[in-house]
Amino acid sequence: MFQNTKCECGHQNPAGTVLCESCGKPLVEDLPLDSPLEMRYDGVARRSQKENPDIIDRVWNFFSSVKVAVWLIVITLVGAALGTIYPQESTFINLDDPAQYYKDTYGTWGQIYQALGLSRTYESWWFVGLLVMIGTSLVICSLDRVLPLYRALSKQQIRKHLTFIKRQQTVYEGTLDQDPEAWTQAFAEQLKRKRYRVAREGTALLAEKNRFSRWGPYINHIGLIVFLLAVLGRGVPAWHMDQYVSVDEGQTKQIPNTNYYVKNEKFTVEFYKDSELPDSLKGTNRAKLYETKAVLYECTAYCDDPVKDPVLTEVDRHDIRVNSPLSYKGLKLYQYNYEERIRLISVRPMLVDSKTGQSYGPFELPMSNPPLTYKVGPYTLKLNDVFPDFGMDEQNRPMTKSRDPNNPAFVFLVTGPGLSKEGEIYIYFPLPSAEDKLLEQQINASFQKSGNNTGRFSFQVGKMENVKFSQYTTYLNVRVDRAMPYIWIGAGISMIGLVMGFYWQHRRVWLRIDDGKLTLGAHTNKNTYGIRAEVAAALNKTGIAIEPKALDNRRKLS
Amino acid sequence: MKRYRKPVQYIVLAFVILIGGYAIGRSFFHTQEVLKPGSEAPAFNLADLKGETHDLASYKGKPLVLNFWGTFCPPCRNEMPALQKEYEKWKGEGLQLVGINLSEDRITVQRFASGVGAYFPILLDRNKRTEKLYGLKEYPTTYFISADGIIQDVVVGGPMSEEDIDSRIRKLFGR
Repeated sequence: MFQNTKCECGHQNPAGTVLCESCGKPLVEDLPLDSPLEMRYDGVARRSQKENPDIIDRVWNFFSSVKVAVWLIVITLVGAALGTIYPQESTFINLDDPAQYYKDTYGTWGQIYQALGLSRTYESWWFVGLLVMIGTSLVICSLDRVLPLYRALSKQQIRKHLTFIKRQQTVYEGTLDQDPEAWTQAFAEQLKRKRYRVAREGTALLAEKNRFSRWGPYINHIGLIVFLLAVLGRGVPAWHMDQYVSVDEGQTKQIPNTNYYVKNEKFTVEFYKDSELPDSLKGTNRAKLYETKAVLYECTAYCDDPVKDPVLTEVDRHDIRVNSPLSYKGLKLYQYNYEERIRLISVRPMLVDSKTGQSYGPFELPMSNPPLTYKVGPYTLKLNDVFPDFGMDEQNRPMTKSRDPNNPAFVFLVTGPGLSKEGEIYIYFPLPSAEDKLLEQQINASFQKSGNNTGRFSFQVGKMENVKFSQYTTYLNVRVDRAMPYIWIGAGISMIGLVMGFYWQHRRVWLRIDDGKLTLGAHTNKNTYGIRAEVAAALNKTGIAIEPKALDNRRKLS
Repeated sequence: MKRYRKPVQYIVLAFVILIGGYAIGRSFFHTQEVLKPGSEAPAFNLADLKGETHDLASYKGKPLVLNFWGTFCPPCRNEMPALQKEYEKWKGEGLQLVGINLSEDRITVQRFASGVGAYFPILLDRNKRTEKLYGLKEYPTTYFISADGIIQDVVVGGPMSEEDIDSRIRKLFGR
């Protein structure tokens, strides 16, 4: 292949040239002599084809091969398909022990799947490696082909070798009984009316239109590269985030690894009434609305302070609904889920003196970060202990079963007039359940037995308006995806390239008249019907009667 | 055109190695790093029960035992006396034993610690930040850290007996 690159017209072609860059004469005879020519890339050599490739050239040539590119794509597709057999680890919100989970849920195959790393296919080194190789191949394949093609198309010879013209897919040969100059002029006019750009050199002619469609594939590739780079860019931590936060009503929570805090002021779930539903759905719970009234705060001071509370500044608020996220500087909070779970936010109990029947207060008792002392009437309440989720340990000591305020209990030391100097100790369960009230009585009675109190005081909330509670916990999906605009840009460029390549065709017509003998060849990369019709129409208008079908060179062959 | 062929090849391949290397390299380190013996203990800055702050750097230079615990976790509760005993035993030799509470209320922590007689220094984590930094999955988790800040041993779960703790402290002192 790398021999005999000098054409009979005297042009020295680079190694790997198929058709002489100057006159178009075929240099490689691997096809039957009268079959249509291979016109890919106009027969020019790929840019990097060299006679003595060094190591860099070999790497380059590997990626320059379309065959390699196709294999890369096939392997990537197979890999991507493997990743869909079982759910990926990244689709689970909380997965502490993936190996165990896959074994338990999907059996032995799941265990093998997870052990092979296929549960993390799309983040694996080999999959990312394949994407990188496809990207490389895209760049190198395009560079190696578009530059020679651009050169070849921008300095085309008008007078082509006879073999080149005769071996096009659309060919006319015949004797011309008119004046060659005048006929060529008339034919050129006809083609110009079809918006061809015509160049003449005596009785040789080159007409061409829609050359720009040749650049479509390369523009498409540029778009794909932008797309791929954007996808890789999602790996930069600041560019991509996808996590979930659960927030009780009235609660403010930090969005992990950010400087932002989100507050759930109120969560609402509404269902369609039966009158709004069609008969087939009556009696079923059909959600009409999920809404979190959310406030977004940014921490402005003491954000990482071990003692002081962070200073929060409100930056945005939004009623988050499905498909209506709170959006602030690229940070998006989507409604993801909710859970009905009653949790106290704060209560305003009264201190009741059973001796006198008098009650004092109320005083504000928040469930999280309660103050240490309270002034209630003439009495002082000192917080002695807090159990957010009350229970007993093995040694029957009171403990908290978790860090969540599921069943809070507070131990107060009451001091004041008429009480001993040490004060009296009382436990208080704000949740109004019978079980808790019984426990409260029992524990206080045992305190009384051990002399810690006289049983004089109790706590009472009274009206419901003294209780603030959260009914729902909302789950928000927090996302940052700064690569998204670039993904759209890439996809847009890619689409422009595809449209250019698909909806227009590069059409060229060559002809020469030698001693009254007209030889015409025409080439297009697709829609050969179109170009035959155009050529036949122009010929008919200039006095050569011919059917479009008769111009088909391939038809003559078979 | 030919003149630029080689430089263009080098530039394109350099970009591939740079971007591709970054992307592939990242895929290796993506799995959440679990602290293992040999890794450096992540820095923190936390307040103790009196409200004074301590950072990890201030413990450098002497062996350190870091115990993550909470009053809601029974094995944590059960191993407190053993930790206190070992603290008293090794304190004179320069051992530092620090409990990091798992983001509970100060009052709850204070009551429990004095209730079980744990008087070794206790720091208060906030909003589970330090806990996440150390990638805790189970409670209690105890790190045995040498004087140069390198984790020598990690014990996940408990309760540990005095002997369990003692043998590991011995190693920290190279005995």
